[in-house]
Amino acid sequence: MIQLFHVYKTYARDVEALVDINLHIQKGEFVFLAGPSGAGKTTLLRLIFRDELPTSGQILVNGRNVVKLPDRAIPHLRRSIGVIFQDFKLLRDRSIFDNLALVYRVLGIPSATGKRKVANLLKLVGLSHKVQMTPYKLSGGEQQRVAIARALMNDPLLLLADEPTGDLDVDLSMDVMRLLGDINARGTTVVVATHDMDMVRELGRRTIVLKAGRVVEERP
Amino acid sequence: MERLQYILQDALVNIRRGGWGGLASIGTIAVSFVIVGIFLIITRNLGALVAEWKEQFQVTVFLEDGTTAEQLALIKKRIQSERAVKAMTYTSKEEALQSFKRELKGKDSLLEGLGENPIPASLQLRIHEAYQTPEALRQFAAFLTRLEGVEDVLYGQEWVDRLASAVRILRLLGLSVGLALSMASLLIVSNTIRLAVYSRAEEIEVMRLVGATKMHIRAPFLLEGMIQGGLGAGLALLLLFGAYRATLWQLQLTPGQIFGVGVGSFLDPRWATAMLLAGASVGAFGSLISVGRFLRA
Repeated sequence: MIQLFHVYKTYARDVEALVDINLHIQKGEFVFLAGPSGAGKTTLLRLIFRDELPTSGQILVNGRNVVKLPDRAIPHLRRSIGVIFQDFKLLRDRSIFDNLALVYRVLGIPSATGKRKVANLLKLVGLSHKVQMTPYKLSGGEQQRVAIARALMNDPLLLLADEPTGDLDVDLSMDVMRLLGDINARGTTVVVATHDMDMVRELGRRTIVLKAGRVVEERP
Repeated sequence: MERLQYILQDALVNIRRGGWGGLASIGTIAVSFVIVGIFLIITRNLGALVAEWKEQFQVTVFLEDGTTAEQLALIKKRIQSERAVKAMTYTSKEEALQSFKRELKGKDSLLEGLGENPIPASLQLRIHEAYQTPEALRQFAAFLTRLEGVEDVLYGQEWVDRLASAVRILRLLGLSVGLALSMASLLIVSNTIRLAVYSRAEEIEVMRLVGATKMHIRAPFLLEGMIQGGLGAGLALLLLFGAYRATLWQLQLTPGQIFGVGVGSFLDPRWATAMLLAGASVGAFGSLISVGRFLRA
């Protein structure tokens, strides 16, 4: 599903965000990208959905080399990927429903189908009763779940989650991880970036540990 | 179908949020187009006037008294073989006198003491437009004067020519003023749209991240620009038409009465449509500049 070959990412003034990353994530896998903040987890995720280009190296996503992807093909790539952003990126001036509806409008899904999808996903994340509320009336955990629902609007083959449990307490974190586990069980490849090593250990999934832009450990 | 509805909805939301900025855009375009329109109407009408005068323009060849029928036939033949000549009519001494009497109407007693008919016979020549340049006419007149039996050649072309060049200058002036004003409108529309784009920056970012194409993002802004431009041009047309009717009314005229047929008219529908399209294009272009810059950043 995802293959990285000798991927380097260097920002201006020789800041090495990623150094010689080689990775292979199978279809249907659930993988943690763990490590302290600043280790390069977010950069790695952004390379996968082509929000950034690597300084060198090749990246294959679902058989396509995203490094060589022409600009006009980027939307197509992103439509096959769901992304849960660290800062959620919810639009504050509109309702939960409208936040999700934005996706089906972008995808060109007819509104009848789209509305049904919104209803199903909000049921999945347990927020059906808050569909007309705006994000700032929701708690952090609820906003996180809206972000998850939005990432699933396009039935992604691949779900990328950046610190999905960042601000949540242990119970809520486990709820979110259970939800991501369910999504994975339905066949979606899931990659979760997190700094929470305790949680990673507890869940016992495949884990790639990054430190200062390098893979320092891979388990199991 | 649903796509179009969304695009229209978003464009209208943008316009509503834009408020005074949007009105400023529409207003600037309207003012620019009014000025351009005034130039258009004036140059069009003056142009029509020049064309009409050129059409009516003629060279009169006065013949010597006592020119024989053979000489006349020869002169006619020589003249008719000239390429500059479009048509020729002959007025005999008698006909000229009759028409002069008709013009004097009632005062023809003035002519009674004349005894002999003093008015010469003449040939009236219509000249092809291509030969209506000062140089060509001078040469042609010289040629006519040299013909045997020709007494004098009369043509008054210089002032028509001067008017024609005035129209050309006016047209050029209108074009440059129009261009400058269109540029100004373009910048103002582009600025309004830029504000609209920035007010939706977050939304655009999310749209791009979930896989919206650039066209999808551009479309509502493009439409917003086109609506602003089109409304501006439409407003300009209304103002122009109002001013045009008011002017006619002030002068107690009906369309087409100034200077004669075909002159004193408003912009014809084709030009009006062209102005609407030009307004929409200015709006669309201004919008593309802003959105393009934003999407590249």
